Amino acid sequence: MASSCGPAWRSVCEKFRSAQHQSEVESRKDPENDPFRSKYNARELLREIHCTLKSLGGGENDEDGEAEHLQRETPGDEHRGGGGHPGDSAAGMRLARLGVVEYYLGVNHVETEELSAGEEHLMNCMNLLDKCAISRENVSVFIHVRNQLGILWAGRDEIDKAQGFLETAEAIYVRYVKEDGQPPADLTDFFMEGEYEITPQERIKRFEMAYTHTLYYLAQVYKNLDEYEKAARYCHITLQRQLQFDQFVPLEWAINAATLSQYYITKCCYMEGRHCLAAASIIANQAGELPSEAAAQESEVEGEKREQLQQKRAEIARCWIKYCLNLLQDAKKLLEDNIGELDVERQEELKRGRRREEEQEERGRKSAVLFSSSDTFDSICALEEKVSCSFPLDFEEARAIFLVGQAYVAEAKDYFQMDGHVTDHIEVLQDHSALFKALSFFEEDLERKCKMHKRRVDMLEPVCKDLNAQYYLLICRQLQFELADTYYEMMDLKLALANKQDELDAHTIKKFNHLCNASIKYYQKFLDSVRSPEGKFPEKLDEEVLRPGLVAKFRLARLHSRLISPDAPTQLQNLNRSLECYSFVVRYCEENPEARKAVETELELSEEMAGLLPLKISRLRAKMVSST
Amino acid sequence: QTAVSSGDGDSIKVFVRVRPLTQGTGLTTDGDQGMCLTVTSPNTIRLHAKPEPRTFTYDHVADVDVTQEAVFASVARNIVESCVNGYNGTIFAYGQTGSGKTFTMLGPSDSNSFTDDLRGVIPRSFECLFFLISREVERSGSCKSFLCKCSFIEIYNEQIYDLLDSASASLFLRENIKKGVFVEGAVEKIVTSAVDAYQVLSMGWRNRRVASTSMNRESSRSHAVFTMTLESKETVNEVVNIRTSQLNLVDLAGSERQKDTHTEGSRLKEASSINRSLMCLGQVIMALVDVSNGRSRHICYRDSKLTFLLRDSLGGNARTYIIANVHPGSKCFGETLSTLQFAQRAKLIKNKAMINEDTQGNVK
Repeated sequence: MASSCGPAWRSVCEKFRSAQHQSEVESRKDPENDPFRSKYNARELLREIHCTLKSLGGGENDEDGEAEHLQRETPGDEHRGGGGHPGDSAAGMRLARLGVVEYYLGVNHVETEELSAGEEHLMNCMNLLDKCAISRENVSVFIHVRNQLGILWAGRDEIDKAQGFLETAEAIYVRYVKEDGQPPADLTDFFMEGEYEITPQERIKRFEMAYTHTLYYLAQVYKNLDEYEKAARYCHITLQRQLQFDQFVPLEWAINAATLSQYYITKCCYMEGRHCLAAASIIANQAGELPSEAAAQESEVEGEKREQLQQKRAEIARCWIKYCLNLLQDAKKLLEDNIGELDVERQEELKRGRRREEEQEERGRKSAVLFSSSDTFDSICALEEKVSCSFPLDFEEARAIFLVGQAYVAEAKDYFQMDGHVTDHIEVLQDHSALFKALSFFEEDLERKCKMHKRRVDMLEPVCKDLNAQYYLLICRQLQFELADTYYEMMDLKLALANKQDELDAHTIKKFNHLCNASIKYYQKFLDSVRSPEGKFPEKLDEEVLRPGLVAKFRLARLHSRLISPDAPTQLQNLNRSLECYSFVVRYCEENPEARKAVETELELSEEMAGLLPLKISRLRAKMVSST
Repeated sequence: QTAVSSGDGDSIKVFVRVRPLTQGTGLTTDGDQGMCLTVTSPNTIRLHAKPEPRTFTYDHVADVDVTQEAVFASVARNIVESCVNGYNGTIFAYGQTGSGKTFTMLGPSDSNSFTDDLRGVIPRSFECLFFLISREVERSGSCKSFLCKCSFIEIYNEQIYDLLDSASASLFLRENIKKGVFVEGAVEKIVTSAVDAYQVLSMGWRNRRVASTSMNRESSRSHAVFTMTLESKETVNEVVNIRTSQLNLVDLAGSERQKDTHTEGSRLKEASSINRSLMCLGQVIMALVDVSNGRSRHICYRDSKLTFLLRDSLGGNARTYIIANVHPGSKCFGETLSTLQFAQRAKLIKNKAMINEDTQGNVK
């Protein structure tokens, strides 16, 4: 842009280049005991440039030829209206140049931990620019200086000041793009010429990057202000821009997008979550071919690359699993009545609602920012289409989502194998079990429902048996509780089935008791895990086992009273055990009133049963006495 | 503001030890005899903060005159005993460089540790461990035998180095369904006496110094983990009963270095010079996912190596003690406050694993 001549100006440009080199290249090699040596060199050079510019700008009359040239010369050759553009006058040009030097001086001081001096220079830059309108020449400086001031003030814990600067930078960008939109000049354009001049593409890239940084800092600012929704939006736009301008590391980007999807699914924004996940999968696949096992054995670099790619892809698969799981679970919540069963009326109503929506053809309601990098966009959309983002309303729809989830389970397990990744592997298994559990809600056939729970047992039971509780206590507890819970659910299903029969046959009774006993066994194991090494049950349950502990006792009570036994003494024994457990819950809540809140329903029923059972027991006893 | 030391059983316990003022350590208050704290009871400490003094409560607070034997008795004896009985145990040392960590854990640097009255927690633990082992063997009439293996690793910059094999490249953490988390390929030395064990420790300690100078890494920025794996084998009526347990002795990075990572406040992470990488974005997103509750989500960013390795010690199934060393000089106020705060937070460390349970449809 800037064609120029004259030795004085050439020397200024040379100094500038040298300052850049010192600051960016040399400074990395500075010794530890003199960490800012090159930065100080750069500062000296910038100061000299500053002096030269100042002296050149004295009065209109006493300029020498070169100074006049400096003032006439403009980096752009456009003619635009409006006052105050640097391109309009030599004075404006000088101000803009001074502003840039002040900016670099400010950054230099901040980098050398002289924050106040840095702030002063940056403010000088702001003041100089104040006299100029936002134009193609200086819009970059406007944004850069505010980015820097944003960082500076955030570092001083004055986050609202930082926010102010950054939001202004954002507004300037938006306005510039709307009103002008031509590729603007870069900061270095003021002092670079000829062979050092940068290409227009590079110019655009740097300008857009400065704005991406603005958004990236704003994302952090909003997070620090606890404005999570805004922070998420800015993270999303930052990711989107990284993709658009091809400024990203594929695996890192993919993991960030996958993580963002987890934010969306916890906020019930499944369309956005799915979009992030599809993009994450596509970009992760673009991160390179997976080196073969043989290649990985050969070279350490290939080995590490293989490990990285496999791990990250497995992580993304796990994010997909959570997507499917939450979608099913949320749909279940939507559809269940107050005892946790499918509410058919609600189902019909939701289906009608969806038909209406479809009729209105609300395709355009995609309010989310889309990752629309032309090449990848189609593949992202294609992947999205493989799974729905609206709540499943019947078994068929639920099953479609379940199957997608299950495929990702297989993918995740491929990398997170039991040997080497115990915790991760089990977490994936737990999700798989949870997928089955959620799906079973949509199944109306009780027998088939029961079979789904059996699948859960089959996948968790062997692990629970083999896992060393000395090292994996918490996971063991989770597995024990879940197994107990699953058997409990199966018992309930069998009970419902049995109620339809007139007479219970021996086979059914045997099966039913088996389920009861299995559930009892795991609840008991869970409760035993809470005991001290000496075998004592704690007087006070830790917070994280308070509710599960009491629920386990409550369920044990119910299971014992459910066991079917032909002989009276066993019946009596079971009822006594049941009473014991009910009373435990009641007594515990009397002694620890703060526990009441955690188990309100269970407590109420326990109290009731602890009142009724003794009567039943004494009746049974009486019957036993009379029959002997 | 009083910190409440809560809970019993297996939760993390905290022992605060105040070192005496001495001359010439660089941290001392030569000339300035001002103290920034007072030990007010065996489990409380008052920090002379302005305008209001602050009191902190821990499981135990030891003043300047406490003996090495007393520290061992309250912190380590129980842990070593339960280790011999098959439970895992961990002792962390934490504090500002110069606050007495090495003295507490090892003893005076220039002494032969087994004769010196001033020997620290580690040599005493070794003695105690092997004394208990020989007593067990004797009691059982030699039906019971023990095997002790030591490993010693260092975690620096999220990389794991083997201090018993200084030539090895960085190592990886792996998990096994039977033996939990372990460092794959770490050298394990079999030891049969306290002296053996101490020799292994000293060798690793030397390597740590050598590595820190040759590889330009600072020891005050690295965590060192010495692990003793204890395997007992008991034959009763031809049934062999094997138990294993671990004793971890951890020297945490100097607390003044933790500051860099923890007390950042609202500082913004800048874009790195390689513009493609906006490193902090992931952290921001992670924080957003973290606050959401109830729903199940997966976070793709891994634990730090140290917390992963010691996850059972942090709120899991182990006896854990943290020794927080503080220096009483008024110049150390800031560091002391942050150490005391860290120790207080440590009490709250609980593994986040929750029991999944459907709250709906419970009662059918």
